[in-house]
Amino acid sequence: MTEDPFEAIKATFFQECEELLADLEAGLLALENGEGDDETINAVFRAVHSVKGGAGAFGMEALVRFAHVFETLMDELRAGRKPCDDATIKTLLRASDVLNDHVAAARGAGAPVDEARSAGLVAELEALTHGDAAPAASAAAPEADEDEFGFKPVQFDPMDLAPAAAPATSGGGDWRIVFQPNAALYAKANDAGLLLRELSRLGEATVEIDASGVPMLDVLEPEEGCLSWTIRLPGAVDEAAIREVFEFVDGDCDLAILRDEAEAPPVEFVAAPVAAPAPDLDITALLAAAQAQVQAPAEPAAPAPEPAPVIAAPAAEAKAPPAAPETAANAPVAQAPVTIRVDLDRVDRLINLVGELVIQQAVLAQRVSETAMIRATGVGQGLEDLELLTREIQDSVMAIRAQPVKSVFQRMPRLVREVAQMTGKQVRLVTEGEATEVDKTVVERLAEPITHMLRNAIDHGLEKPDKRVAAGKSAEGQVRLAALHRSGRIVIEISDDGAGINRERVLGIAVEKGLVEPDTQLSDEQIDNLIFMPGFSTAETISDVSGRGVGMDVVKRSIQSLGGRISITSKPGEGSTFTMSLPLTLAVLDGMVVSSAEQTLVAPLAAIVESLTPRAEDIHLVGGHTPVIRFRDEFVPLVDVAATLGFGIGPEPASTGVALIVEAEGGAKAALLVDAIQGQRQVVIKSLETNYQAIDGVAAATILGDGRVALILDIDALVSNTRRSVRKPDLKLAS
Amino acid sequence: MTAVRLPAVLDIRAAGTLREDLLALRGSDIVLDGGEVERIGGLCLQVLISAKKTWAMDGKALTLAPLSDALTEQLAAYGCADLNTDLVGATG
Repeated sequence: MTEDPFEAIKATFFQECEELLADLEAGLLALENGEGDDETINAVFRAVHSVKGGAGAFGMEALVRFAHVFETLMDELRAGRKPCDDATIKTLLRASDVLNDHVAAARGAGAPVDEARSAGLVAELEALTHGDAAPAASAAAPEADEDEFGFKPVQFDPMDLAPAAAPATSGGGDWRIVFQPNAALYAKANDAGLLLRELSRLGEATVEIDASGVPMLDVLEPEEGCLSWTIRLPGAVDEAAIREVFEFVDGDCDLAILRDEAEAPPVEFVAAPVAAPAPDLDITALLAAAQAQVQAPAEPAAPAPEPAPVIAAPAAEAKAPPAAPETAANAPVAQAPVTIRVDLDRVDRLINLVGELVIQQAVLAQRVSETAMIRATGVGQGLEDLELLTREIQDSVMAIRAQPVKSVFQRMPRLVREVAQMTGKQVRLVTEGEATEVDKTVVERLAEPITHMLRNAIDHGLEKPDKRVAAGKSAEGQVRLAALHRSGRIVIEISDDGAGINRERVLGIAVEKGLVEPDTQLSDEQIDNLIFMPGFSTAETISDVSGRGVGMDVVKRSIQSLGGRISITSKPGEGSTFTMSLPLTLAVLDGMVVSSAEQTLVAPLAAIVESLTPRAEDIHLVGGHTPVIRFRDEFVPLVDVAATLGFGIGPEPASTGVALIVEAEGGAKAALLVDAIQGQRQVVIKSLETNYQAIDGVAAATILGDGRVALILDIDALVSNTRRSVRKPDLKLAS
Repeated sequence: MTAVRLPAVLDIRAAGTLREDLLALRGSDIVLDGGEVERIGGLCLQVLISAKKTWAMDGKALTLAPLSDALTEQLAAYGCADLNTDLVGATG
């Protein structure tokens, strides 16, 4: 085992942080939409609490400090002492953004935290926590605040225990907790009062203060802790619950948790950090476990570092904060699904192997059919079963990688808030279909294009509030982000209710930049699509918000590289909709295997509407050279696949071949003319870009059962080529 | 008899100031007005207890009155419901 176990645990902590922060934001958004209840507030509290707890174990002081202030306010809210109104939720949302930044900074992944912003939010949170009395002071001097509040490492100075810690007189079996906070506890913005309150929530508590350690005022160090308390709790209280109260102040106080016996054994006082035997798993226990593992002899041939991931799940549970008894009783927390964390490489290896299995299965099927083995022997049946099984395995394996798009969508509210603030617009983000699942690779690569398009939608799409009002709309613009499954693909729609694309301006810019000839006649759709052209977007035409050096052409390319496509529809005065359509997985595809000019090709099944044998009388030439075919009372372009891709000539006359009626994204249809259909098959996608280069009209390649390589057709490219009137398709397929 | 009004929030940031303010009044009988206190932390509680001890040693009177509801409640939670009477060890 070569990996540093401490680092592994830290990595696990950050993974948990991601989930916790996502829960946090989801909870806050639910509250904002009025969908939250007490349990939502509790969940938000727990998320912040857990982040703080983990961060404390790793000594991430800035993060702990911020989380603590956040948590304190959440505590007030969940206790109902402060109202959870709109203004508060908005502040909490911004606080969650800063908390994200703190986590990212602690992880070393993000930019350093904007201290002024963080301090400002600390002041705001404190103002909300303390009501109206404190805000003026703390908001006015955030820097001073920061200094005073800053973590100061303080010498650990165990004080002698006071006489009050003497054996208790109460009934046998009760808990006696002797607790003396040190300066560090206070310096970390914890307080004895909070802990006492937490304890008293666990059961009927009697609290006894011992002030014998408090010196005269002239020698008192105001930031040193010299009070101690003895708290008695009924024996029925769970020890773990008691320890949880002190979970985050372990090293910062002297603590003894004792159970009174009839004989009243001598009080044994122990410093908490050394002795507290964690009854449940927590980060401290994890650290200890990891330490033990380092010291233990190396396990023979351990395949990969795994101890930390495997115990991660229980750790998360154990870190749940102490729930107030009444909450525990009447608000059952949803049972978290049991999960394990698995290294992505392992999953990918499995997926690759299953891909090979699919190919081998196809090879086997082909060989058997060639040898004409009879179905009666059961071989045929066995093969069919095998195929079903293979497919099921493949689906299951792919499901491992499938993730809801929620993880990406959840990052967007923050973006919207920030962009809205920068542009002075009022925006409401509506998200739909967050549970839609798609392959992890796709999910990860969705974030950037969605981010960019959302920015654009707010910056360019939505009007300023006054303009909107003047146009008879509400001052608040709406941006909708939706995900859905459609014909075996995932579709992401980003729409705004803004002014729509200013076609005159877009055309003007395109002409100015020499992208189109001044006298070109373009349809509205073609003008809208100009924004995707390389070189359309430059520093002059985009603002600070959208202008990050990335144009829509880059967005389009990044979507295309995922096997996706993007389209736009826009109505003046009503807004624009960008539609991205992406494959659910980048690994397999249901395809129709066809032959054309002695080549074997695969057409994605999802795009095929129908196949038919063209009749000569249905084929017409438009303008004397562009063939179209009549299909159910409409004419669709007839595309000779072999000729279009440049490797031969298709069936001549056309009526000797087969036409596949395909539908591209956006509903445009075309008829692909091929020689014959061989059959329907599931194929494993092998990227052409990775292994060769991108080819217009070809989406990818696959390996067939007979070992030959077949190209997978890019239906959208083929269809859009037929509709391109401005430019001739530039075909690059060599031979 | 000097009256001192305690601030609303007696947290870690208030502890140092509170100590100095009180020290400046050492030698005189004082009344601490806790009528507006919303929150008191452990450190300010220490300062008050220390002051109580100091004033007792000096033979002077230190009285806490009036008390806001929040202060009353929080003092009780700290196990020293009445700061004006003797605490365990407070006069020791």
